[in-house]
Amino acid sequence: MRILIVDDFSTMRRIVKNLLNDLGYSNTAEADDGHSALAALRSAPFDFVVTDWNMPGMTGIELLRAIRADEKLKTLPVLMVTAEAKREQIIEAAQNGVNGYIIKPFTAQTLEEKLGKIFERLAATA
Amino acid sequence: MNAAAESPERSALIQRLHDALDALERGDESALRAEIDALAAARTRPLVQGLGRLARELSQALGELPAAGAHAGELDDACARLDHVVAMTEQASHRTLDLTESCRGLVEQLQRTGLDDSQQALLGQIRGQLSEMALAQSYQDLTGQIIRRVAGIVRRVHEGFGALGLPPREDARDPALSGPAVAGLDRHAVSQDDADALLSGLGL
Repeated sequence: MRILIVDDFSTMRRIVKNLLNDLGYSNTAEADDGHSALAALRSAPFDFVVTDWNMPGMTGIELLRAIRADEKLKTLPVLMVTAEAKREQIIEAAQNGVNGYIIKPFTAQTLEEKLGKIFERLAATA
Repeated sequence: MNAAAESPERSALIQRLHDALDALERGDESALRAEIDALAAARTRPLVQGLGRLARELSQALGELPAAGAHAGELDDACARLDHVVAMTEQASHRTLDLTESCRGLVEQLQRTGLDDSQQALLGQIRGQLSEMALAQSYQDLTGQIIRRVAGIVRRVHEGFGALGLPPREDARDPALSGPAVAGLDRHAVSQDDADALLSGLGL
């Protein structure tokens, strides 16, 4: 399982990376905005994306739309981990095909739960 | 007859009304219209005078703005300080993450040394709390996002001053703006070594 972590704050990328490590996902890579994330996704295979929303350059929601519009990437599961907590934003993310949504600040338990739920749902539809 | 009856405004008004009535009785349409226009003009004069006064006050206020905008020069300085806060907290967060990761490594070493169950349980707790400490560093991302937003607002205000044609004063740096020294902003910032040298030079 190779996971791409996308956040403009290096501290948050590191925190998410450590948490994923604790949960047994040690194969991760990092990107600091949507553009570099898309470039990474198109140059090497990934199984999962964890992305922030608010980033300079290309935002997380734009990244999500680009992934869903890309023939090769469109089935890639995307988990949004963001401080954006408005109802409309969560709805917008859902309408664009997000697989999970975590509001910062979050706990390790929340991350574990949401990942579990996403994999459960993917296994059910596979 | 009171004093007001003799005021020039009042007699002019009476005269105009008489003239208007005469014109009406004569059937002189254009004279009547001229008298009525003159009456209307007299009514609106205070309004026009009021607008004129407002316009003068506004232009005076605009003329004074460069003085009021003396703080504009500090806005750039304030933005740079906010950027510095984001960088500083980022650095501190990474340092904390380095240390928690190192501590987790030490805990793992200890766990391999054949400890009894209660000791293993304690190490498990320490490991868990180190994870919580690492997660608590996410404040840096959240506060950083807020600070960047505020800095963006301050920059837009600063640009607004520029759009009004009010260039910031170069010498607007306020010595009252104290706090931690920021490299590149505080010209008189000194290191601990500088401070020690200065103090020993003063006999301390």
